[in-house]
Amino acid sequence: MIRFGIISYAHPHALRYVPTINNSPTAEVYAISGDGSNSNVAKREAQRFKAKFYENYENLLKDEKVDAVYIAIETYRHKEVAIRAAEEKKHILLEKPIALTLDDADEIIRAARKNDVKLMVPFNPRFTTPLMKVKDMIKAGEIGELEYIYTISEYVKPPIFLEGLDLSWFLDERKAGGGGFMDTAPHGIDSLLWLTESEPKRIYADIGSKIYGFPVDDIGIAVLEFKNGVVAVLNAGWGNPKGYSYGLEIKYHLMGKEGFFDIRTAYPDFTVYQDKAEKIYWERTDVENIVNLFIQSIIQNKDPPITGEDAKKNLAIVLAAYKSSKTRKCIYL
Amino acid sequence: MMKEKLRVGVIGCGNIFNLAHKHVLKKLENVKVIAFMDIKEERAKQAAKEFNASYYTKLDEFLDLDLDVVEILTPTYTHAELAIKSLKSGKHVIVEKPIALTSEEAEKMIKTAEKESLNLFVGHVRRFDKRWMQIKEVIKTRNILPMQIKKSEFQRLPFPGDYWYWKPDKSGGVAIDLGVHITDFLRWYFESEPIEVFGIGKMIRKEAITNNTYDHFTMIIKFDGGQTGIAEVSWAYPYPARYGVFYHYLDIIGKNGRIKYIPMDTPIIGIVKNQFEMPRFSPMLSTFPDAFEREIKHFLECITKEKEPIVTAYDSKIALEIAEKAINSTKKGEPIKMEPQNPCIKKEVP
Repeated sequence: MIRFGIISYAHPHALRYVPTINNSPTAEVYAISGDGSNSNVAKREAQRFKAKFYENYENLLKDEKVDAVYIAIETYRHKEVAIRAAEEKKHILLEKPIALTLDDADEIIRAARKNDVKLMVPFNPRFTTPLMKVKDMIKAGEIGELEYIYTISEYVKPPIFLEGLDLSWFLDERKAGGGGFMDTAPHGIDSLLWLTESEPKRIYADIGSKIYGFPVDDIGIAVLEFKNGVVAVLNAGWGNPKGYSYGLEIKYHLMGKEGFFDIRTAYPDFTVYQDKAEKIYWERTDVENIVNLFIQSIIQNKDPPITGEDAKKNLAIVLAAYKSSKTRKCIYL
Repeated sequence: MMKEKLRVGVIGCGNIFNLAHKHVLKKLENVKVIAFMDIKEERAKQAAKEFNASYYTKLDEFLDLDLDVVEILTPTYTHAELAIKSLKSGKHVIVEKPIALTSEEAEKMIKTAEKESLNLFVGHVRRFDKRWMQIKEVIKTRNILPMQIKKSEFQRLPFPGDYWYWKPDKSGGVAIDLGVHITDFLRWYFESEPIEVFGIGKMIRKEAITNNTYDHFTMIIKFDGGQTGIAEVSWAYPYPARYGVFYHYLDIIGKNGRIKYIPMDTPIIGIVKNQFEMPRFSPMLSTFPDAFEREIKHFLECITKEKEPIVTAYDSKIALEIAEKAINSTKKGEPIKMEPQNPCIKKEVP
């Protein structure tokens, strides 16, 4: 039985991960700390899951009963918290993006390695059923050689509108590293890396604060050319207005030489129509798969499916996109 | 004073004539089609027979006729020469898009039309397609304020590798041939001018590789109002070509809302008899059939009533320039700046 410590409810993903961890037959939510934003929510959830509540993560990490941590604190504190977790020999499931900078990512990776703990950063779409099927079909050669991918990786609207949570840090570049593009593009980029089994040769992007007048970017578009010749277009950000009935919008258009996939949503759902239309997900295999694979990597002492190095590679591409947008140049990686 | 009926001559009696223009010309009451010209006699003869008109295979003889308007429906690389000669012999010209193979040629055509005080119209049929007209209207009435527009036009080009579309020195490839549809569309929707273009082209099908032409092309175009357009065109989409489907994908993100036109969400009436037929009403059509009628009527009305067209040859030249710059960009591997343009002229819907 792996005992989890949950560090912070700053990132709303905590609301999805914690129940899943608790439902796992091989894990339990043992302790929760209330660092960062939404500490009131952390405290409430600790009661709900009958978990120990710590005011700060330092005490949680010193608790010897904690085997692993899920870190959902603001991005700018990833480095500090993850390194301390490694030093206390806790395995680490760390929210994306891994850190604000590549140097910070390196330090986290080194700390995990030095202390011999597992480090995983979850990017969800590749753990969804539709995408796993597609990957199998591509590998089986069903659409021939892969040529082009359009990936939509968008969130419904700026997260400050999520009820009951203070997500204002998403609009602070120093804390989040960027805005809508930083928030959502890592998912699409991970899918591209995973589906192409290649790496981008170059990237050109346009990212900006275009819609809502936020101090951070809200939407972005990037075009990537991969070493194996695949061209990909990535649409990311918070481009959907408040009235849009979806939550996440994760969609793909994949074109091979001999066929194409039109993946209308990676997260299967149904719609309830009342005063307004509401999409409800009927299957979210992704979080369950992520939690289970992370636990397996601990129990079986093997690399998790997405390592710190993978997450650093992802961050490098996101940062290259920002650089391209800022310098108005194509960035060669 | 104009004559009672406009005397029209047609050069090029191939695909676009038979698919679109023929049906319109038959319907229009203020038009008399006098003559057809095609270098393939059989095609000119067939067209002439349908209209009870004369036919020619020699341009000089054709241009000696007393015509008000010449429609040029030939492969792209012939547009400039045919248009300039027609204008110089005193005819108004309606030419299919792209205006020409290069923007230098386009410039010469425009100059000639100005010198001769004749009209030069280019068939940017998207501007006359109800779908795009209505969406543009909604953008206006609801004050959507578009900041990012992504438009894709994907098809599987149903012609063999030796056909002129596949020859870059005849059609310019997909970046030009379909590209100008979207580059013009983006200027029309943004009402803003391009300042920078980035392009990535691919050669996917063997027809493309053999002819050294891009058949899948992505452009990112920045506009001077801070807007960004994404134009994607493909001849390599792996649909079975016999269905003739054409995939339009439009996604508009605005300050005050979002508009999507995605064929998977819109109705199709397909017909299967002993063989599959083209859908009669479908978002999978490249052009709604009445768009050509609206377009040609508008251009003819601009001639008879001496009106400004909603899309000018100058618009068409800029659309071509953007696509040219995108091709240069893919060769250079960097975005390419565009010269400042004259302010976009706002025009009435026909």
